[in-house]
Amino acid sequence: MTIEEEPIAHLLIEIVDDLIQDWGLDLDEPVGVDTLLVADLEFASVDVIQLCVAVEEHYGRKLGFQDLLMHDGSYVQDLALGEMVRFVGKQVSGV
Amino acid sequence: MATKTILIGMDGATFTVLDTLVRPSGAEPPVMPFLGELLSRGASARLRSTPNPLTPPAWVSLMTGRSPGHHGVYDFIRAEEMRDDVFFTLYDARDCRVETIWSIASRQNRRFAALNFPFTAPPNRELNGILVPGFIPWRHLRRNTTPAGFYDRLKSLPDFEAKELAWDFDQEKQSLEQLSDEDREAWVRYHLPRENQWFRIAEFILKEDAPDLLAVLFDGVDKIQHQAWLFLDPSLQPEGPSEYHQRMRSLCLDYFRQLDGFVQTLVEMAPDDVQVLIASDHGFTATTEIVRINQFLAEKGYLAWKEMPDTEAARRREESMFANLDWKATSAYCRTPSSNGITIRINEDGQEGGVPPADYERFRARLKADLESWVDPETGERYIAEIHEREEVFAGPAMDEAPDLLLVLRDHGFVSIKNKTPAVEPREETAGTHHPDGIVIACGPGVQAGRQNEARRIEDVAALVLYSLGLAIPEDFEGQVPSEFFTEEYLQSHPVIEGGVTRSVAGTVTGEAMEEDEKDKLMAQLQMLGYVD
Repeated sequence: MTIEEEPIAHLLIEIVDDLIQDWGLDLDEPVGVDTLLVADLEFASVDVIQLCVAVEEHYGRKLGFQDLLMHDGSYVQDLALGEMVRFVGKQVSGV
Repeated sequence: MATKTILIGMDGATFTVLDTLVRPSGAEPPVMPFLGELLSRGASARLRSTPNPLTPPAWVSLMTGRSPGHHGVYDFIRAEEMRDDVFFTLYDARDCRVETIWSIASRQNRRFAALNFPFTAPPNRELNGILVPGFIPWRHLRRNTTPAGFYDRLKSLPDFEAKELAWDFDQEKQSLEQLSDEDREAWVRYHLPRENQWFRIAEFILKEDAPDLLAVLFDGVDKIQHQAWLFLDPSLQPEGPSEYHQRMRSLCLDYFRQLDGFVQTLVEMAPDDVQVLIASDHGFTATTEIVRINQFLAEKGYLAWKEMPDTEAARRREESMFANLDWKATSAYCRTPSSNGITIRINEDGQEGGVPPADYERFRARLKADLESWVDPETGERYIAEIHEREEVFAGPAMDEAPDLLLVLRDHGFVSIKNKTPAVEPREETAGTHHPDGIVIACGPGVQAGRQNEARRIEDVAALVLYSLGLAIPEDFEGQVPSEFFTEEYLQSHPVIEGGVTRSVAGTVTGEAMEEDEKDKLMAQLQMLGYVD
């Protein structure tokens, strides 16, 4: 993770913690960049969408998450939060 | 601070049922005595719904004072015609093109609370009020509730249970399905505690916050009537009902009895001079036949079914609530059962399957003629009683998103879009469906007691709410204050004032203005939701 990505990681962890706080999950470890949304946090598709919307609300603009979530016309089966951090980093920096 | 107005929404409430519930039945006392009291103390009228009497357009009209051709919300599911495909997504608050009464009240320093109203999420977080949206899964209720921190206040309520309160997509699918007797009973029971949750929140807000406007929507009326109309419609009650029929009717009446108690408690908690408004988005009636509109269109050569593999995913797609067609071979089709409309695919740039713009009028006239000639061979009666061109019923800036033809079936039922034959057949059992006539009741200072009035239109409720809050009616409102509900003296001392125009809505998304990344996002959302294979 780059220095530029660290604040994004903090932000996304904060958003995810906020999102799941009422879900009653029994987590082995705190949410981090290695956390898998589906396998660890039991995300359904609508939950991934809500996470994307929450991140976009923070930045006040669309971030084109379809490029992260879809490969060759199919959906990724799961996603590590770190992958999302890297993606957001690229999108907000315009790289 | 004291509450001036209580608006109680009863989704699908109809005088067909309520009139019998406010009166004694033999030796039995009324099921809804308090509603009966409000009717005798207040003014009432049938309330004409939107051209397609459906929850999304109708509640949005009630919340905006504008017709669907202006607010742009037509259905639960929004479709976007692409070159070789049609993409489906869900409507949400961002699709409403006009200002809501919540916003109008808020910017004129009236505090409000709106509970369980559809298409209020994602919320406008700048409003001076409380929004707890309807149609949102429990896991996302916190994030879509405003103001920040209010959800934590809700959690402090005794017996607060978000899972019980919020929209459950799996449960809601059942409302239009043919259920077993056991499942139908469970379906009705499911709504009793759910409504109690919304009532407890309304009670809490009224006590703790006393907003100028408290609005709460009870949507169990609609859900129960869809599945249990047979047990509620006075004209359908048998001489010697079965034990199951008696149990179901009793259960339904328990629901209405509970609802009456909720209304009574809220009204009695409010100051004596509160104005109470009760409204429904549409009424209800019986549907007795299944009309498979896309099957008819296929037989007439207007559409072609998509060939699907024999897989579980394909079967799920076939059973979904939106059309699954060979788009290149389709010129006219119905998108969803709830739309009761037919969309003509326009061939803008030479793609296959569409109708060239120059042929549109001729094509639509032929389609309309085919639909008009579809009659019951035994009686000669048309299956589709009314066929409206969209200019007739959806005129306005948002008309382009409306179906090209709106259909009203002879029994007011919703069409089926399934690939099944025959195109028309009787239902195994009578079910409930939406009727255009809902209800409006007003009670409080200046309201003429016991007055039954000519029918009003649903947009008028928005004007009525603003009037009750002492606010001017925006000049671009289509809804008007039903002045006949009030005494002359009251109208003289509280004249209806016309104000400026409503404010434009920032961030409104239109099909025309949608950018490519937004389209991709919608597609992504749909795939993730399982709507698109």
